[in-house]
Amino acid sequence: MAAARKSARRAQVERLITYPIDWIEERSGLFGGLKYFLFRKVPGDTGWFHTLGSATLTAFIVQAVTGVILAMYYKPDPDKAYESIRFITDDLTLGWLVRGMHRWGASVFIILMFFHMARVFLFGAYKYPRELNWILGVLLLVLGMLEGFTGYLLPWDQTSYWATVVGINLNGTAPFLGPFLVNLLQGGAEIGSETLTRFYALHMLVLPGAIAGLIGLHLYLVIRLGVSSPPWSPDAAGADRAEPDRPTVRKGLTQPGRRGGYAR
Amino acid sequence: MSRRLDERRSAHQRYKQDVDERGKPFYPFAMFHDTVMSLVVVSVITALAVIWKVTANEEPDSSGWLGVLYGEEADSGTTNFIPRPDWYFYFLFYLLRIFKWPESVILGTIGIPTILLILLFALPFIDLRRERRLLRRPVAIVAAILVVLSMGVLTYKGATARESLGTEALAAVPEWIEKNNLPANARKGAELFAESSCLACHIYVGQGASNLGAPELTDVGSQNRGVDYFAEYVANPAQYGNTRMPPFAGLGEENLRNIAIFLDASKGEE
Repeated sequence: MAAARKSARRAQVERLITYPIDWIEERSGLFGGLKYFLFRKVPGDTGWFHTLGSATLTAFIVQAVTGVILAMYYKPDPDKAYESIRFITDDLTLGWLVRGMHRWGASVFIILMFFHMARVFLFGAYKYPRELNWILGVLLLVLGMLEGFTGYLLPWDQTSYWATVVGINLNGTAPFLGPFLVNLLQGGAEIGSETLTRFYALHMLVLPGAIAGLIGLHLYLVIRLGVSSPPWSPDAAGADRAEPDRPTVRKGLTQPGRRGGYAR
Repeated sequence: MSRRLDERRSAHQRYKQDVDERGKPFYPFAMFHDTVMSLVVVSVITALAVIWKVTANEEPDSSGWLGVLYGEEADSGTTNFIPRPDWYFYFLFYLLRIFKWPESVILGTIGIPTILLILLFALPFIDLRRERRLLRRPVAIVAAILVVLSMGVLTYKGATARESLGTEALAAVPEWIEKNNLPANARKGAELFAESSCLACHIYVGQGASNLGAPELTDVGSQNRGVDYFAEYVANPAQYGNTRMPPFAGLGEENLRNIAIFLDASKGEE
C-alpha cells in the first residue's frame, strides 16, 4: 500500500518535470533539435584537430561576456574614455582581469581562427559540399580582424589613436571607395568624438551581431553537412570503395567499376 | 563536368552512409574533446590576463612581459607618436614598407591584400578536385608553405622594426645641419621635425623609416617650391591629394612655418 503510494507520487513528480519540457517541445521542437545535435553521428576518426572550431567559438563567447562587462563601465567619449579604462584597470574589482581577458582573448580568438582555417585547408574540408561554409568562415575571419581594428582605438591612448589615424588614411587610398570609407569611419574632418562613437558602435553592436549570426549559419552547415574525416585516416568516412591498398570490402557497398586510388 | 559533379555527389552519399553505419555519436565522444579544448582556451586567456597584470605592476618603469597596461592618453596635438597596430596586423603594416611612394604604394595598401582575400574566398572554386590527401595536393602544400612563411616573416619584421624616437632623432640634428649645410634659421624647424615623429614614416639623412610609402626628405627642398608650399602641405596633405599622411595643422602656424623653412632648406647631401 505504502509502496504503491510512493510510486504514484513519483509518477506525479515525473509528470511535473516533464510537463514543461513536453509543452515547449510540442510548440517548438527545440528539445528534439537539441537531441539531434547531441546524438547525431560524426565520423569515428574525428579527434583533437576537430576541436579548433569550437575553441574559436569559446574564445568568441569569452569576448562577448567580458565585452558586455567592459561596456558597463567604458565611456565612449574622448574626454572620458582614457579615464574609464584607467578606472576599470586600477579601481574596479577584478576589472583588470576582465579587461585583460578581453585584450588577450582578442589575440587568442584571431590565432584560433587562423589555426581552424589551416586545419580546414590541410584536411581539404572546404571541398564539395562545404564550399559555402568556407566562404562564411573567411567572412568571419574578416569581421574578426575588423573587430580588432575597431577595438584598438577604444582605450584612447597614443598608440591606439595614431595607429587608427594611419589605418583610416590607408582606407583612404582605395580607388573610388577611399573618401567614402574615410568619411564613414571618421565621421568628421579629423579623428575625434564622432570617430570614437562610430568605432564603439561598430565594435560592440554591428560586428559582434554579424559575427554571432554568421557563426549560427556556420554551425548549421556543419551539423547539416557533417565534418570531414582526416584525409590520412585508413577508415575515412566517404572513402572510395575497393581500393587496392584497402582490401576491406563492406557488404553491399562495393563499386567494381570505379578506379581505385582516386580520392577519399 | 557533370561526371565530376556526379562523382562528388556520390562521394558525399558514401560519406553519409559511412557516418551512419560506423560513426560515433557527438555526445559524449567529440563533445569530450571540445569541452577539454574549451577549458584550455579559457585557461590560456585567463593566464595571459594575469601575466599581463602581474608583470606590468612588478617594476613600474619596465613594460612587463606583455606590454604596459595603458599608454599615455591620446593627444592629437602632440605628434611624438609611434603608430603601431596590434600584432596581428603587423604583416600588413610591414607590407606597406616594402612599397615606395607613390607609384606602387597602392599595391601594398589595397592591391595585394584585396587579391589575396579574393583568392581566399574563391579557394573552393579554384581547387575542384576531390583529392584530400596532402601528398597528392602539391600545389596546395606549396601555397600553404609560402603563405605561412611570408606571413611569418612579415609579422616578425613588423614586430622588430625600429621606429625612431623623438629624443634619438633630436640628437642627430647637429649632424643634419652639418651634412645638409642647413642655414641657422632651419635649426628650430629641424628640432621640431625630429620631435614630431616625422621619422616614423620618412627618412632624413639615413635616419627614420620608410613607412606607408612616405618619401625620403633629405633633398625635398631641392625643387625650390618655397616655404609657403611646405607649410600648407604639412598642415593638410589631403589638399595636395595625399590622403595617407595625417594633417599636422595641430602644430600651430609658427611651428609649421619653422618646419617648412627647414624642409625648404634641405637640398640634399653635398
